[in-house]
Amino acid sequence: MSCSNLPVCRDTSSLSFGSFLNPFRPPHNATPNNPSRSSSVTPIHCGLRELRERIDSVKNTQKITEAMKLVAAAKVRRAQEAVVNGRPFSETLVEVLYNINEQLQNEDIDVPLIKVRPVKKVALVVVTGDRGLCGGFNNNIIKKAEARIAELKTLGLDYTIISVGKKGNAYFLRRPYIPVDRFLEGGSLPTAKEAQTIADDVFSLFVSEEVDKVELLYTKFVSLVKSDPVIHTLLPLSPRGEICDVNGVCVDAAEDEFFRLTTKEGKLTVERDVVRTETASFSPILQFEQDPVQILDALLPLYLNSQILRALQESLASELASRMSAMSNATDNAMELKKNLSIVYNRQRQAKITGEILEIVAGADALV
Amino acid sequence: MTLNLCVLTPNRIVWDSEVKEIILSTNSGQIGVLPNHAPIATAVDIGILRIRFNDQWLTMALMGGFARIGNNEITILVNDAEKSSDIDPQEAQQTLEIAEANLRKAESKRQTIEANLALRRARTRVEVINAIS
Repeated sequence: MSCSNLPVCRDTSSLSFGSFLNPFRPPHNATPNNPSRSSSVTPIHCGLRELRERIDSVKNTQKITEAMKLVAAAKVRRAQEAVVNGRPFSETLVEVLYNINEQLQNEDIDVPLIKVRPVKKVALVVVTGDRGLCGGFNNNIIKKAEARIAELKTLGLDYTIISVGKKGNAYFLRRPYIPVDRFLEGGSLPTAKEAQTIADDVFSLFVSEEVDKVELLYTKFVSLVKSDPVIHTLLPLSPRGEICDVNGVCVDAAEDEFFRLTTKEGKLTVERDVVRTETASFSPILQFEQDPVQILDALLPLYLNSQILRALQESLASELASRMSAMSNATDNAMELKKNLSIVYNRQRQAKITGEILEIVAGADALV
Repeated sequence: MTLNLCVLTPNRIVWDSEVKEIILSTNSGQIGVLPNHAPIATAVDIGILRIRFNDQWLTMALMGGFARIGNNEITILVNDAEKSSDIDPQEAQQTLEIAEANLRKAESKRQTIEANLALRRARTRVEVINAIS
């Protein structure tokens, strides 16, 4: 849905559509700063008909933004469902990984995915959205990626990008000097298939020793109004089932976190639950069909996959949440603009009527 | 004694009910599991899972993962699982041909790794349809 199909007001001398569309883009405008804007508005000089046209078009825009907001809200709920559906899997996985780990504590293991090599080249997986009109969401994550690239450059390391999402693809295509390994598109709802494609790519890059480290850049969903672009080290995986961010802060995988959309006093709110997965101990008579190392070898790709899937889901949730708030702001702005325009319109109409009456009275006076 | 099978993928629960017997392709060959099996943990290869359910055999394509058997509960964690009835034979056959062509074309080490994985997945999907049950 783009704004180009809206009736565009031709008169752009004062209070143009540009200034109205602005709040879609910069994230700072997300806070309500209506008073300052309405004070900066130049007086509206327009004929009655232009005013009427403009009021109509603002009305249409408001309807569209309102609808987009509602659609985004509904989709957030679907995204949340997807996270909930994946829980039995991730819970069992974490449990098994934890147990196997305990068994492997004292063994010297050699699994390709956890091998730490001296880093020469880093692959960055950048997860962006497929659509715009969602505030600073795509911009923020791309900026984060640019910052990371600059960092790697100063460290003298080589890098390559795996771009996920149409917006990121467009951005990197326009900048041919950034080496991009592969462009991928995220779907409307991330599934294991998308995660698998990314995982395969990352896996082969890492195992063939083309890159020595893989980092995942995505937007972490904190709440409906807050989401943070973060960097996660994807590979090499640490055998403890821990994931570390760039600063080496480890997040325990046994701490499963997911968000829940609830309604509080008629308004949508989001709660983030932290569930400490109970790690029940294996029965001591459990036998390993293969070497524990082989089993770890089978488990780690699964773990890699579920990490990527989680990141995709979080990114989608953040995108939808940020679209929701952007559209909500746009609706508010449209309402404000409509109000101002209506006042000017009514005043002009009144002035015109008064003028006409004066003319008639003056004419009648002249006759007497 | 009954045996409970639970097949989990990151997306959803594919199977969660009682079964009579299963045959699972593990990294060290196929194993059959009947009720009261000894508790074991095993890596699951990309391959076929056969399930005896209500005295008929069903097949399912498993895309690699892990299985835990114990206490008459089987938990299988896989990246992806497809029931044979959900696979389109023509599409699967085409994917297999594309995968074979890709492997022949592969030059670098990395491309070979990728093509091999894709080929094994595609082959399993075709085998699942053709499996005599």
